[in-house]
Amino acid sequence: MTVIEFHNVKKSFKFNTVLNDLNFTIEKDVLTGIIGRNGVGKSTLMKIIAGFIKESSGDVQVFGEHPFNSLKVSANSIFIDDTMSFPEKLNLTDILREAKRFYSNWDAPLAERLFEYFSFHPNAHYSQLSKGKKNTFNAIIGIAAHCPLTIFDEPTNGMDTAVRKDFYRALLKDYLAHPRTILLSIHHLEEIEDLLEDILLIHNGTAHFHGPITELQEMYVKLVGHPQHLPVHLTNKKVKEQKTTGLSSEAIVENKFSTEEKARLTEDGIKIIPVSANDAYLQLTKGTKGGIDDVFDRTATH
Amino acid sequence: MLDMDDAKPIYVQIAEWIEKGIIDGTLQADEKVYSQYQLAELFNINPATAGKGLTLLLDAEIVYKRRGLGTFVSPNARTKLLAKRKQDTLQKLIKELLNEAELLDVDDKQLLSMIDAERKRRESHDSH
Repeated sequence: MTVIEFHNVKKSFKFNTVLNDLNFTIEKDVLTGIIGRNGVGKSTLMKIIAGFIKESSGDVQVFGEHPFNSLKVSANSIFIDDTMSFPEKLNLTDILREAKRFYSNWDAPLAERLFEYFSFHPNAHYSQLSKGKKNTFNAIIGIAAHCPLTIFDEPTNGMDTAVRKDFYRALLKDYLAHPRTILLSIHHLEEIEDLLEDILLIHNGTAHFHGPITELQEMYVKLVGHPQHLPVHLTNKKVKEQKTTGLSSEAIVENKFSTEEKARLTEDGIKIIPVSANDAYLQLTKGTKGGIDDVFDRTATH
Repeated sequence: MLDMDDAKPIYVQIAEWIEKGIIDGTLQADEKVYSQYQLAELFNINPATAGKGLTLLLDAEIVYKRRGLGTFVSPNARTKLLAKRKQDTLQKLIKELLNEAELLDVDDKQLLSMIDAERKRRESHDSH
């Protein structure tokens, strides 16, 4: 069953067009990671799905309805990000109690156990919490709400390494016990790639890649070998990056090698090394302006 | 356990982890194999990825499915895996060994005596 559908969706703000002709569908109970460089419109996209803002043109369907002003969508979804605000009068315990009234699937025992595990003080107030603690509290609400559509926009900002690890584990365990559609935008793909089923990569306002994470993990390979032996194997191949350091050359290439080609690579002493999803993502979104080194090289020559 | 830093895709590692269990006898013929959800929980990975690991084994007929009951080890799985390992893994190691020996100018005689010495060292180690 399809939960989210985007057809030719566009979103422009006063000075720029963020999303441009965006098309994709997300199926029920899939855990999707939404990735993209800074400012590509990941948050805008997620807010359109949650019905917080309206697209400029195109067709958006969530649970079969247009999400903006849809009661069905707001009753069945939760959107977690670091701009959440709660009434100042309520302490953390009050907020959890109110959340129970708000979300029909609310798992109160789980919320309480997580609250205690992450050492929150029951009488503390939200505004007094540090950035990392605020996001941990938000994450507890996001997990315990058990919403059919759960959206996390960079939930781990400010969390320390140990808390991030605990959050990923908590999310996975709860997802296994209560499968639901989850969207998760995150900058540290390497930390969560094993947790995700699909990746939606937003680039230049479109869905640049949408598919299983394993496909992204197998998109490229790195070849490492002797500078004399490597170039022969690179003809007719899509080479994304190439460099030679002393006695060894390496190249990141599209992973399209026949069994015979692979055998010849091994015979020439060339190692075939997988490229992680995170590195593949960087290759897919590489700018046309060269790397950061080029910025400095240019000033040096002037 | 799995080596999460291993360069192989995680679902291939899952399949190899189960294969190893079959080879060393931890998993016997017709014994039930972990479900994709148990594997997901065990290795902290998405259940769909764990499922892909099981699919690899299903396609190779190392395991079989019984509707509603789960996945089980094929009766001839161990024999199949041993043959495959001999052909793939051992052959590959021998290739690498010969490459290295060639580079270092070690001839076959020296190589054999090195293997012999290592075997003796292990034997004496075991008897202590």
